Amino acid sequence: MNCVRKLLLARELSAGRGILRQAAPGRDLPWLQGSSCAQRFWPVSVRSIRSSAALSRSELIPSARGDKEKDRGSRDGSLVPFDELFERAHEGDRTKAAFSRAVELFCQRDIRRRGHVEFIKAALRKMPEFGVERELDVYNKILDVFPKEVFVPRNFIQRMFNHYPRQQECGIHVLEQMENYGIMPDKQTKFLLLQIFGKKSHPVRKYQRLMYWFPRFKHVNPYPIPAALPRDPVDLARISLQRIAADLSAKITVYQMSLTDVSDAGKEITQPHIVGIQSPDQQELLAHHNPARPVFVEGPFPLWLKKTCVYYYVLRGEPLPPEEKEETIDSERNFFYPLHLDLDLDRGPWDDEEFYVDEVEEGPIFAMCMAGAGDQATLAKWILGLQQTNPILSQTPVVFHLKPGPQELQAASDSESGEEEIPQSWHAKQEL
Amino acid sequence: YISFLPQGAYSLKLAQVWAITKEEEVFPYPEISNEELEEINQFVGPVEKFFSEEVDSKRIDQDAKIPPETLKGLKSLGLFGMQIPEEYGGLGLSNTMYARLGEIISLDGSVAVTLAAHQAIGLKGILIAGTDEQKAKYLPKLASGEHIAAFCLTEPGSGSDAASIQSRATMSEDGKSFLLNGSKVWISNGGLADIFTVFARTEAVDNDGTKKDKISAFIVERAFGGVTNGKPEDKLGIRGSNTCEVHFENTKVPVENVIGEVGGGFKVAMNILNSGRFSMGSASAGMIKKLIEMTAEYACTRKQFNKKLSDFGLIQEKFTLMAVKAYVMESMAYLTAGMMDRPGVPDCSVEAAMVKVFSSEGAWICVSEALQVLGGLGYMKDYPYERYLRDSRILLIFEGTNEILRMYIALTGMQYAGKILTGKIKEIKKGNVGVALEIFVNQFRDSMGRKVDLGLVGKDGVVHPSLEESGKKLEENIYYFGAAVEGLLRRFGKTIVDEQLVLKRVADVSINLYAMTAAISRASRSISIGLRNHDHEVLLTNIFCTEAYFKNNYVMAEIEKYAAENLDDSIKKVAQQVLEKRAYICSHPLERTF
Repeated sequence: MNCVRKLLLARELSAGRGILRQAAPGRDLPWLQGSSCAQRFWPVSVRSIRSSAALSRSELIPSARGDKEKDRGSRDGSLVPFDELFERAHEGDRTKAAFSRAVELFCQRDIRRRGHVEFIKAALRKMPEFGVERELDVYNKILDVFPKEVFVPRNFIQRMFNHYPRQQECGIHVLEQMENYGIMPDKQTKFLLLQIFGKKSHPVRKYQRLMYWFPRFKHVNPYPIPAALPRDPVDLARISLQRIAADLSAKITVYQMSLTDVSDAGKEITQPHIVGIQSPDQQELLAHHNPARPVFVEGPFPLWLKKTCVYYYVLRGEPLPPEEKEETIDSERNFFYPLHLDLDLDRGPWDDEEFYVDEVEEGPIFAMCMAGAGDQATLAKWILGLQQTNPILSQTPVVFHLKPGPQELQAASDSESGEEEIPQSWHAKQEL
Repeated sequence: YISFLPQGAYSLKLAQVWAITKEEEVFPYPEISNEELEEINQFVGPVEKFFSEEVDSKRIDQDAKIPPETLKGLKSLGLFGMQIPEEYGGLGLSNTMYARLGEIISLDGSVAVTLAAHQAIGLKGILIAGTDEQKAKYLPKLASGEHIAAFCLTEPGSGSDAASIQSRATMSEDGKSFLLNGSKVWISNGGLADIFTVFARTEAVDNDGTKKDKISAFIVERAFGGVTNGKPEDKLGIRGSNTCEVHFENTKVPVENVIGEVGGGFKVAMNILNSGRFSMGSASAGMIKKLIEMTAEYACTRKQFNKKLSDFGLIQEKFTLMAVKAYVMESMAYLTAGMMDRPGVPDCSVEAAMVKVFSSEGAWICVSEALQVLGGLGYMKDYPYERYLRDSRILLIFEGTNEILRMYIALTGMQYAGKILTGKIKEIKKGNVGVALEIFVNQFRDSMGRKVDLGLVGKDGVVHPSLEESGKKLEENIYYFGAAVEGLLRRFGKTIVDEQLVLKRVADVSINLYAMTAAISRASRSISIGLRNHDHEVLLTNIFCTEAYFKNNYVMAEIEKYAAENLDDSIKKVAQQVLEKRAYICSHPLERTF
């Protein structure tokens, strides 16, 4: 009874709102779900003269919901019964089981599934709240709400025109949401869609398009990120560093594990983690670095892994001066064949396959790291660790060029200055 | 000199592939005198008898050791000093005679490698660059086999990169000796040898007075102390030969034991390596000839479907293949050996490299086909074929891998051609109308089906008329190869060094051309002097030349194309993608996406 009363109330409200809506359509837009929905809205309301009772009713309820949104707070009871269904269902936790319960509840309530379009839209909206937006079987369950075989066109005229457009649109909505979350439909989805809408209906075509593109795009990213990123910051740093380094011989070293301890004096000591990566090539580059020239620690630089942002630091040198860059080929290098020919002829233009690229010279990168804290003391420990494998670092001045990163902002204001330079030769042993 | 020299430059007569040898050097085929022939036949008999009766190859392979009595027998036959001059107690054989004995010695891979490591590289340094005192001191004992020699170049790292040599010899304060420290790996005879030719870094003063690390060669006796060796490596083939690590720890080497000059070790090493390869041709040919005898015996007695194996076309084809390869290898090996025996010091290192590449690959294919004739039996350890297969695999690897030698062949040729052609190519590039027009006319004439005549065949030709077709094919190949090489120089210039795929093709054509030349030259001689079965030789030569002609044409068509058309681009890209992931990256065929 409550429900019916609400419906009547909604009808009244919407009758008044028809004019209002046309007068100021922009105001109504925010509560509409997406622009496609908005565009659809007007023709339907105009067509409602010839449409069935179910259609006109179903048009009413979203508008009632609009009112509810507007008047949220002032009114206690919700006008929309379907949101309520979910509210009731989740009394415990917002889980997949609760969501399924709500859907089942709706299905059991009315054999004719009255208001299923609205219910499905509400369900789609609620999915992220329940954390089921990536569950294929939940989508199938939602599609299962549609009455079967009712919307399948029976003659050529029905087939020619848009048969039950709102239901078809709704079906497309479900598929669209699946698409947005990257969920690939399965055989069950296809079976349901065929049962509900029949062959060559719009939702089935949408399904076919999904099945055309999704498999093709599945492996389009050559550098895939694991579906679930590791929680442990050390593991996260590991995969991030491997991702940047892109060298399979690069070796990861955990210089320090994160640790919180209470010292003898009763002071709390926190030790951030330090994870570094260095490839044999980089080690060789560093070994040939002229110790008279400083090397720089720079960062933090951001790296996005899906929705997570991590920061890394690099150890780099300055670009080599041109006189040191020239590599002389030792004529007594190869026992078997000459490494260069003594000819006065150059490569012709037709075999020159290099593009002209405006190259910006950069210095060599010797190593990279990720750390739990971006302060200089932490990074100094990294350099100290690197000295184990790169003895030349102990003779090379290390200059810290650190920008205030977000991590530092959170940590403390101990290093306000944007750039810190230590000009004197820096030995980690003295420092620690 | 001529060879591939391009259009219009044929004022000289055709010589040979890279113009490194002259026509009169390859035609007629080199001969030895009757006395020499008699002398070598005196050696061949006993050695053949020894190998067939006293060398138990199966046991050597199983025990991974050559029994002392076999070594003693080899020593008493004088096989440890084949090329050492008679005045030092050796046999003093010429290259040709050495190649002849190599045919027999190769019947056992382990023995052949042990002997080769001893004299083809181990003591070669003393022989070609040693002083008279060094020769007098070391060669007699080496010749008798009392001392065995080993060649210590390779170090952990890589074999052909001089920069990987980390062994060091430091001069003592009195300047009378060096202290040698370092480790060498994969040293053949490392565990048996008493005398080592060792390469190590020394500090040398350059011409401009700066001190620089350079490689020097030393004669090191095991008796000097501080020489140890690891345990023999367990190998796929040539299991009886001794291969192990050798370590030198503060070994005191007197200054007199430096081979050549201090700091001149690089040249010594190169010369030793270059001079040791030619004998592989005759060795491989010897092995294949033996295999033909063994498998023919089987094919003519075994019956299948009431037919002898030898009646089947596919089996016959294998025997033809083996005969052709053996014939061409032999021809190349003895042509090269003959050229090396000419007075003076002719540099035949490129030819030797070509012989090595051709014969090692031919041997591998032929052994595999011989095994195939026997089918399942060939796979069994009861038969020697699997051992021959394992043993012959090393031929493609040692004394410079075939890949490396192809680079050597192609680059040496390119350097030579470049010197001659640079002027002309520059003219074209500058836009000299006359030269460009000449090229255009030549190309037009080529496209109209030009008759190439380098004077090899015909009335005044050096090729016998029975081989006219083959001769013409060789001429045509040489002519177009010249054009192709000129095109490459014009296109790549000195950056051709980095075009390994192109260089490999250049090397392949060169090898084929040299092989054709050798076969034609030998067959012409055989017909002319009426050797037995010379008609068979004509057949073999014609088969080889026709096949090689088509292969050459195909490869040269590839050479003329750009990287996108001859697949070089795609080949490199696939390799790059595979190597980036260090794996085969295709999805499994059973994989699904939906």
